[in-house]
Amino acid sequence: MIEIRELRRDFGGIRALAGVDLRVEAGERRAVIGPNGAGKTTLFNVLTGELPATGGTMRLGGTNLDSLTTWQRARLGLARMYQRNELFNPLSARENVLLSITSLGGAYRPLRSPTSAEVAGAEAVLAQVGLEGRGAVPARALSHGERRQLELALALARRPRVLLLDEPTAGMSPAETQRIAALIAALDRSLTLLIVEHDMDVVFRLADRLTVLHEGRAIAEGTPDEIRSDRQVHDVYLGKVVES
Amino acid sequence: MSRPALARAAIVAVAWLALATFPEWSQFWESSRFATGIIRQILIFAIFASSLDLLVGYAGLPSLGHAAFFGGGAYAAAIAAQRLGTDELVVSLGAGILGAALLALAVGFLAVRAVGIFFLMLTLALAQMVFAIAFQATDLTGGSNGFSAVHRPILFGIDFNAAGNLYLLVCVTFLLVLLLLWRITTSSYGRALVGVRENERRMRALGYDTRTLKLSAFVLAGAIAGVAGALSSYEFRFVSPNDVALSTSVTGFVMVLIGGAGTLFGPVLGAAVVLLIERVLPSQLPAQTVLGIVFILFVVFARQGIAGALRRMVRA
Repeated sequence: MIEIRELRRDFGGIRALAGVDLRVEAGERRAVIGPNGAGKTTLFNVLTGELPATGGTMRLGGTNLDSLTTWQRARLGLARMYQRNELFNPLSARENVLLSITSLGGAYRPLRSPTSAEVAGAEAVLAQVGLEGRGAVPARALSHGERRQLELALALARRPRVLLLDEPTAGMSPAETQRIAALIAALDRSLTLLIVEHDMDVVFRLADRLTVLHEGRAIAEGTPDEIRSDRQVHDVYLGKVVES
Repeated sequence: MSRPALARAAIVAVAWLALATFPEWSQFWESSRFATGIIRQILIFAIFASSLDLLVGYAGLPSLGHAAFFGGGAYAAAIAAQRLGTDELVVSLGAGILGAALLALAVGFLAVRAVGIFFLMLTLALAQMVFAIAFQATDLTGGSNGFSAVHRPILFGIDFNAAGNLYLLVCVTFLLVLLLLWRITTSSYGRALVGVRENERRMRALGYDTRTLKLSAFVLAGAIAGVAGALSSYEFRFVSPNDVALSTSVTGFVMVLIGGAGTLFGPVLGAAVVLLIERVLPSQLPAQTVLGIVFILFVVFARQGIAGALRRMVRA
């Protein structure tokens, strides 16, 4: 589903991605882990087209992404849950999700309100992420945990093929972390997931396979058990996580 | 339609009927004709301000060059009527809308590539170029002397030279534009514009081509400003470079901010306040100074404008 070859991204003299290779099968749940500054969020930014790549190629379901804009990649079925919430703050939770759903029908409907099917779809997605009954509340008035759930709802509402989850449990309490992890675990298995996360309990619970990034390179890839027992990974990342 | 929506529609219908019949029921008032003329001008500028609000208030595009489309529409209507030798409303108003829309397409194509202060400066600079063209293309626009003796149009035999007919034309156009803007701003498209205003990055990630979306709003707002410009040319029977000047753009911006950006009736109220200060205030009072003070008061104490203040009062 995702095929990345020799992906590079430089910031001046700093090489954030130094030739990343990554292949994720359809329906797979892949976690990308690594220390801060390893290039995880840069990888997501380049994959979604929010940052241009310095070199390398990316394919989604066989389609080359290299020359496509962010919105074109989104229309191919690539969705993202951001690390820092990117919501429409004054709008209600329902209107937030509706913006995601109505994008499927095209933006140019200047004389038509969202259809009843679209409104029902928004309510269904809100219920799916545990926000039933909260549809009328402005996004800015939701709690942090609820805002993360809404962030997930925005990404899911477009019915994507691939979902990028950038630290889905960032800033959450243990109870909120459990709730969002359960929501992600319950997603349809046909959806391909790429997860960046620092909470290793969440990572090992959700991921089928892991890729470890270090200094802009993929230094290891394997099942959770293989990664746990990898000496190099333990030295550069997992050991530090356990110690902290 | 829900009961509150029906009540709102009934209030708007009654208010519009009262407005449209103002010359009749006020005819025994000695200042009726003067007041009718002022209301005509308020409604014309209300259309202009409402079109700017689609950009500023809904799409979050702070254009400081919107007069280019107001004046552009006025010139296009007047020139088309003269060159084609016809007074048909469809021709001159159509030319005003088309001329303004094409101008907005050209300006917007460049302007929507910038954001924030750069967008504002780009619209200002491009509108100044339109002003320079209006000033220098003497054969077409009359240059600094302006384009005088603009013919008032006719439609199905109705001659809008009669002041009463012109008033009705302005009232009906105002209503149609407001209904159109209401429909647009409450539609999926209008909500998408609000989405661009609030978080363009997220809109792109949701699959929206935000640049084209902004350009479409720019052209739409320009076309509606062209309607106001064409009506202005009928009202004053004169078009001058002042209609495309920065001062007219700033006036529109002040109307939107005083009335309340992002609201349907805010710009209408803003246009009323500005024109009443400019044209009705006793001549001993310096109108521009009064307007400046009013503007400062709104910016400091009521950033949501008159519409926002009224909404707060209703909620309280």
